[in-house]
Amino acid sequence: MLGGAGPLWAQTIAGQKQPDVMRKVIPSTGEEIPAIGLGSWITFNVGNDPHLRDQCADVMSAFFAAGGRMIDSSPMYGSSQEVIGYGLDKLGARDKVFSTDKIWTSGDGLEQLAETEARWHVKKFDLLQVHNLVGINENLPLLFKLKDEGLLRYVGITTSHGRRTEDVMAVMENERLDFVQVTYNPIDRDVEEYLLPLAYDRGIAVIVNRPFQGGSLLQKLEGKALPEFAAELKAESWAQLILKYLIAHPAVTCPIPATTKPAHAAENMRAASGPLPDDKMREQIAAVIGVLI
Amino acid sequence: MSEWWSYGLADFLLFSPRVYFRLFETLNTTWWLAVAAAFVAGLVACGLVMRPGFRGNRVILVLLSLIWVWVSYGFLWKYYQPINWAVPYVLPGFVIEALLLALFAARPLPLRFGWRGDFSSMVGAGFLAFAFVIYPFVGLIEGRELLQAEIFGSAADPTALGTLGFVLMARGTWRWLLVPVPLIWCLIASATLWVMDQQIAVLPLIAVWLTVFSCWLDLKNGVTTRKITEAELAEPAD
Repeated sequence: MLGGAGPLWAQTIAGQKQPDVMRKVIPSTGEEIPAIGLGSWITFNVGNDPHLRDQCADVMSAFFAAGGRMIDSSPMYGSSQEVIGYGLDKLGARDKVFSTDKIWTSGDGLEQLAETEARWHVKKFDLLQVHNLVGINENLPLLFKLKDEGLLRYVGITTSHGRRTEDVMAVMENERLDFVQVTYNPIDRDVEEYLLPLAYDRGIAVIVNRPFQGGSLLQKLEGKALPEFAAELKAESWAQLILKYLIAHPAVTCPIPATTKPAHAAENMRAASGPLPDDKMREQIAAVIGVLI
Repeated sequence: MSEWWSYGLADFLLFSPRVYFRLFETLNTTWWLAVAAAFVAGLVACGLVMRPGFRGNRVILVLLSLIWVWVSYGFLWKYYQPINWAVPYVLPGFVIEALLLALFAARPLPLRFGWRGDFSSMVGAGFLAFAFVIYPFVGLIEGRELLQAEIFGSAADPTALGTLGFVLMARGTWRWLLVPVPLIWCLIASATLWVMDQQIAVLPLIAVWLTVFSCWLDLKNGVTTRKITEAELAEPAD
């Protein structure tokens, strides 16, 4: 998959057929998207360094080649938006990407959105979210207006680290959101109690950030043997086991792990194939990881 | 932004250590001539400050001013700003420091730099030795390559640290005006290194503590308030 004559970034993927991977439904429209996405927090903020930009394009190339579509970013993530735009240009992958970004300002949301579009080189985003509820009273109506005008496909809100969960749920209850983005992994499970059931009931798709706790969860599990039942799930690594744990939840639509390595992007995508754990096995996964870290 | 309270320090770490320290590698290799020139300028200033008596005061101030201009443009704006949206908020501080240094150089009686033999002089000399000689190599402790060395005159951390050293070796009533910017930068540097899990994060913090203590001692001992004596005035100012 990663082989070829030249560096990955030099190979456009326009016209390449993507492999079939597990897809999940966006409840508000019935559209299906691949069950694993790609985050860009920290990993894609590489500034103007051409060598590192090419490495990010390599990650995107491996992600698309493995069947991925959703890439998520934010104006808060430094140069990540520009680097994604660079990668999309290099790869000719505009028809492959499910473009996901955020508004993060208490000022002029439209002005920030124009900057975001310029950095991605994208005219119409698939999904825009209000980042961490910043300026929610101004920015959410703005996003709904853009959606009504046909300039945006989906509207969402985000939070992370379990921050302002009650406020997020209040918005979920009162607004016609398409997506909500939250932190969730086998250790940070608070959302399982109320937020995920609410999303399921309200027909709101769920994006999961920090599936590996920003990488620290995988560092703690490094070198530790996978449980025997991982073989039943065809999980080859802790990363895949965690991702399978997440996408097996009926409310979860798409975790967005971030990485700097193309091989890891492909490995993450492979979690969206093969069997998924049932409820009992999910509890076992959380228990095993809880004991090991 | 009313929601600032909901953010933690780690939320503002926007980049990985790999990317941050590669900035210095790119700066050192792309602008090696400017990096070397700024370092030599700093060494000249250092040599002047360590000579007995008060000499070369204006030269020291002008060289330091130029160095702060170069750090503002070369490091902060050109390299650091693309990965850290907070840089435009601290950049004016660097420009103000450069302007203040130039203003002090233009005064009829500039700050007077020299070894006094007191505690703050020793701390100042220690800061200079650390910023010029040791800081470029501290990255080796963290497993970084030498090409990624942070060099006085071009990288912000050793430049701020060294500038505090120069200031502590100066006399003059308004000396304190030159302290806040490098002091605040040392706090920012310490926080940045701390969230990146770098063991050297404690060093800028120690520098802040020593600077505040030394400034307090100097105030108490009249170093910054006592008028320069006739004998001292007789020394050549430039």
